[in-house]
Amino acid sequence: MNQISRHLPPSLKSAIDEAVHALHQRVPAAIGCVVATVDGRLVSQVVDNGADPQRIAAMIGSMVALGETIGREVRIDRSEYVVVNALNGILLAQRVPGRRALFVVSTLARTTTNLGLLLHETRTTAAAIGETVDAWLDHYQAATAAAS
Amino acid sequence: MSEIKLLFAGPMGAGKTTAIRAISQIEPINTEVANTDFSESGKAETTVALDYGELALDNGHTLRLYGSPGQRRFEFMWPLLAEGALGVVVLLDNSRPDPLADMNLFLDAFSRQIGAGRVVVAVGRLDSHPQPGLDDYAAAIAARGEFLPVLEVDVRHRADVTGLLDVLFDQIESQSTETAADANEDEWLQLIRHARPQ
Repeated sequence: MNQISRHLPPSLKSAIDEAVHALHQRVPAAIGCVVATVDGRLVSQVVDNGADPQRIAAMIGSMVALGETIGREVRIDRSEYVVVNALNGILLAQRVPGRRALFVVSTLARTTTNLGLLLHETRTTAAAIGETVDAWLDHYQAATAAAS
Repeated sequence: MSEIKLLFAGPMGAGKTTAIRAISQIEPINTEVANTDFSESGKAETTVALDYGELALDNGHTLRLYGSPGQRRFEFMWPLLAEGALGVVVLLDNSRPDPLADMNLFLDAFSRQIGAGRVVVAVGRLDSHPQPGLDDYAAAIAARGEFLPVLEVDVRHRADVTGLLDVLFDQIESQSTETAADANEDEWLQLIRHARPQ
């Protein structure tokens, strides 16, 4: 449980780290931002309030998958994001879009943050990470094809 | 008509999703996503929240079948899913590096929520990985001061999985007989008495 993104290429990891730090800077009263794999492994994080990023990673993996399953089961189609609105904070989690959609991103903020702004910033970051992942995949596939 | 909740637990790749799919009479609900951790298992997908299925019993009651995610990082889900469960099927994969340690992890995890003895241990892939054998599992359970049924299982076969439930019910019933003097019999024990999967 203590390893972070064991197999993630360093260039991709640093791009995601940069996006997570930027998101944390942009969201007013942000407490944390976490990116994880869809199966709950921590990829990148900034968490200020002492919560365990590894556990957040696993939980947002479960939350997003459960939200998507519930969306299908109750026939309201694809879940776009999941929100936990608590007394002292808001957690928003969503899948990172892209061809493989292998990551989830979440933002944790104080209740003084506007939910619409939180959603906008998280969605923008998710899209940017998705484009980065897809670009890396294109590069990887081209390099693999050239080598063979 | 009443409902009884059972939980399938065990490490990743042990066959919890497959077992529920093998016996559920509804299309199971699952939360499988891409597996990105091939050091844990070579499976393409893995359950990250829960599985859910249902099975009618011959006494008109319904078994609600829950499956838990297997990886340790999802242990926050285990007590949530075990809440109110009558018993647990601990599924193990004998091809994993240390299946006896896996068993102890899951027996420890559910020992506080599930009543003593309301557990059956089922071991898969014994044909390709014969060690440890069922006797080794029984000895490891005895070393914990417990006495639980241990069976070989192929979760792809419906009869194997319903057989596990039969054994679990027998185990629970025998436990209740031993403690019958305590009166106040568990409501669910009354429900499962004589109940068998259809």
